[in-house]
Amino acid sequence: MQTFQDLILRLSTFWAGQGCVLQQPYDLEVGAGTMHPDTFLRVLGPEPWRVAYVQPSRRPADGRYGDNPFRLGKHHQFQVVLKPAPADIQRLYVQSLEAIGLDLKVHDLRFEEDNWEAPTLGAWGVGWQVMLDGMEITQFTYFQQAGGLELSPISAEITYGLERLTMFIGLAKNIYDIEWVSGVRYGEVRHQDEVESSRYYFEVADVSFYQQLFEGMEREARRCLDAGLVLPAYECALKCSHSFNVLDARGAVSVTERVGLMKRVRDLAVACAKAYVASREALGFPLLKGAAGEAVTVGAEVANANG
Amino acid sequence: MPTGEYLLEVRSEEIPARMLEPGVKEIATRLFEELMARGLGPRQVETGYTPRRLMLSLAGLPEKEPDREEQVLGPPVRAAYTKEGLPTPAFHGFAKKCGVPAEELRKVETEKGEYLGATVKTAGRPTTDVLAELVPRLLSEISWAKTMRWGHGGKDAGPWVRPIHGIVSLFDGAVVPFALFGVAAGDLTEGHPVLSPAPFRVTGLASYRQELAARGIEVRPAERREALHAGMKERAVAAGGILVEDAALLEKLVAICEIPGVMEGGFEEEFLDLPAEVLSTSLRDHQSALTVERSSGAGGDHRLLPRFLTVMDRPDDPAGRVRSGNEWVVSARLADARFFYGEDRKVGLARRAEQLGSLTFHDKLGSYADKSERLATLAMAICAQLGWKAEAPGAKIAARLLKADLATEMVKEFTSLQGIMGGIYARIDGQPEEIWQAVYDQYLPASTEDAIPRGRTGQVVSLADRIDTLAGIFGLGLVPTGSRDPFGLRRAAQGVVRILLEGELPLDLEKAAMEAVKLYGNRLSRTPEQVLADLRPFLADRVRYVLGLAGYAYDEIEAGLATGAANLPDLKARVDALHRARTGADFLAVVLAAKRIANIVKEAPESPLDPALLVEPAEKDLAAAFAGMKDEIEAAAAARDYERCLARIADLAPVLDRFFVEVLVMDKDPAVRTNRIALLQAIGRTVSRTARLTEMVVDRAGHRAEHRTEQTATI
Repeated sequence: MQTFQDLILRLSTFWAGQGCVLQQPYDLEVGAGTMHPDTFLRVLGPEPWRVAYVQPSRRPADGRYGDNPFRLGKHHQFQVVLKPAPADIQRLYVQSLEAIGLDLKVHDLRFEEDNWEAPTLGAWGVGWQVMLDGMEITQFTYFQQAGGLELSPISAEITYGLERLTMFIGLAKNIYDIEWVSGVRYGEVRHQDEVESSRYYFEVADVSFYQQLFEGMEREARRCLDAGLVLPAYECALKCSHSFNVLDARGAVSVTERVGLMKRVRDLAVACAKAYVASREALGFPLLKGAAGEAVTVGAEVANANG
Repeated sequence: MPTGEYLLEVRSEEIPARMLEPGVKEIATRLFEELMARGLGPRQVETGYTPRRLMLSLAGLPEKEPDREEQVLGPPVRAAYTKEGLPTPAFHGFAKKCGVPAEELRKVETEKGEYLGATVKTAGRPTTDVLAELVPRLLSEISWAKTMRWGHGGKDAGPWVRPIHGIVSLFDGAVVPFALFGVAAGDLTEGHPVLSPAPFRVTGLASYRQELAARGIEVRPAERREALHAGMKERAVAAGGILVEDAALLEKLVAICEIPGVMEGGFEEEFLDLPAEVLSTSLRDHQSALTVERSSGAGGDHRLLPRFLTVMDRPDDPAGRVRSGNEWVVSARLADARFFYGEDRKVGLARRAEQLGSLTFHDKLGSYADKSERLATLAMAICAQLGWKAEAPGAKIAARLLKADLATEMVKEFTSLQGIMGGIYARIDGQPEEIWQAVYDQYLPASTEDAIPRGRTGQVVSLADRIDTLAGIFGLGLVPTGSRDPFGLRRAAQGVVRILLEGELPLDLEKAAMEAVKLYGNRLSRTPEQVLADLRPFLADRVRYVLGLAGYAYDEIEAGLATGAANLPDLKARVDALHRARTGADFLAVVLAAKRIANIVKEAPESPLDPALLVEPAEKDLAAAFAGMKDEIEAAAAARDYERCLARIADLAPVLDRFFVEVLVMDKDPAVRTNRIALLQAIGRTVSRTARLTEMVVDRAGHRAEHRTEQTATI
């Protein structure tokens, strides 16, 4: 039986082999791996980039008090970004599935149209949901725009849903029954978190506090931008985004407010994106060492430097 | 042996299902047109596609374009020679431009004088050169619904629907060379990316088909459809049931595979407790799967079998993994659906309706709770207008329940189940048939094939719902224009028209709409008069459309509408009478009489008829004849026997003819004149009880000739 962490290890090894920086989860609450600055900001501008990481993704409104065998308020994504997307990216992806032990000769693998859009990030892309035996196992996207900016080169983003993939490989009936490592079940690691987080986000979280947090973080983001601090500004924007999600789960966002709040988050994301490109340009686009196509080398160098 | 065969295959990453057919059609059509324009018309065009390849083949292409000769005019002769008769630089320049030796230039006489002329011969280019230039251009110009860029993002990286990986381009077996987005055309292709990825060489259409077939790949969608459909029907029968047909879904399945493998799976019997509508919607929306109905149950047993059928992009399932995977997903999905079903039923639909206050119908028009209240009142008003006392209380209850399912988990998950789910929950709550069916049927007719709601209550609430929406959106001045109709108002209005016509409901739509406007209180930005001014032509257009679909001619509909649209079943009866009458022998006379009356009466003020002022025998006869039939026509009209009305008017035609011949309407004596006009006005009013006959388009000569034979036949 393939464990949850086997999957993480094998995917990490495989993509590290492709010259990806093995990044770590971002240490702020995010709804998806895309919001990690190593995806959202790095896909901007001309610099090549390859990265892979696990990202715990919080969606407060999806919490089910640990009762639902398929749904979680926090799940784990394995996120890969290759910029520019190499021509054989689909083949690499198929190899990654083989690397986690899937014998594709006996499975049915299909790529069905599914275009990704994140209005709060001013981002959209074109791609597929990858279906394995009728199950969506991956979101595969060619980013076209982020932070309201047209992208060039184009990044490929591959997002594996780790819990679902582990469940599916073992045909498990309950998320909490999958093994994290041999002898320790997922539920033993995370169930209490799901129960308490659900209660917190649905029943306890202080609405007026999160409203203040949203306002405060929005102000702080603007102050950071004014001070020329892009990454701190982006972190504040992420805090706004999370505050919005909490308020939403608490049922404290009306339909009209919703549009307004989302626009405010989007405006911050767009401002950060513009400021980020300018800041990289001021640094002379440091990752643009050789020709733009030498992403593998660049990624490998960074990986070594970090190691 | 060259047969003039061109084979094109473009291999790309998976193209969205909805774009394949239009994409391949567009390239085929445009290439065909461009070749025809160059005298290179192929004898045959074939197309095909799978998610990963677009295929096009042409047969019977000539080897090269036909040679062409073109007459070209140059400078005027006086500019081409010096006074001494020697060629000027203009002469030489023209010869050079045309690529013609000086001695072949000649003088041409034109209207503007004498000019230098040349015959320029162009040798036709080889077909392969033409293709090499046309095909990449046309491919890059396909107007995909959505395009992307890839890789380095610069030139040669899109925009196209997906990244391109290979091109086969062969004319009689030889490569027609070109490159598209940096990919060079050649004679190599690949099979299925997992099952047969090794590249292979093809020489033409026959070898292409053969090689693909050897790998189980079928590039022709029609063949894949047939294979899938036949395979699914067979599996359904083998399972003791019948396939529940779903043409739109089958079409999608055809477009997401290149090997048409039928994937059959089952689910736990216990899920059959879910309504069949929920099962099939979940299977369709989430798993692109069709369902199987029991065939055994005599007496209309439409329950489902615990089976589903979908596609797999492979011929078989050697390890059973594809099936177990699909079943795992289906089981999880149905468990979700069952959870929603359980949650939803914890609260009755009437209580559920209380949650509608937090669901916005429209920013400015309030919540669905507001809408429900309006619907209850409007439904009562409609019942009152129709004189339906018994239905009113039920209609009020149904109207309050109508939108409640929007607050259920099931409808949040499957929006296509709105209405249906409410109907099911209302039935479970023990609501009488008339009421739960009204909720269930509320969105009918959703398409031209759909029937209207089953019962009177259903018809009333369905009308109320749509009229409320029309009144509200028009009340904000958001009138649909051109293709912009974000609230689906045309479809809503068409539904209203069809319910009134097919339900034979004599509802005055404008009156009902004004009632609806009133119920919005001060939410609207337009006055009732403005709303009516916009709504009236909009509704008339819907009536035209629906009657047109029913087969009535334009002029029949216009003539009917001109007499009034306050009662649609009556309008239809009048239009129908015209439609039948116009093939009759007397119809031309009736229309001509009506047109004559209209011409004379024009805008004359209405005046009463005074029999004492009738002078001529012809006008006395006309007045007498008219008096003799007026009551009969009115009675026939009241009984909606408009064919009879038209027949009686036809009887009047000879007397009218005599009147027009023997009597001068415009008499010197104003009293006599006014009286004659009054007589014609009275006749005109009675005639237009059926329709404004002057709107009818008739062809005097043709009409007579055509219908004489028919008359004899009838006699």
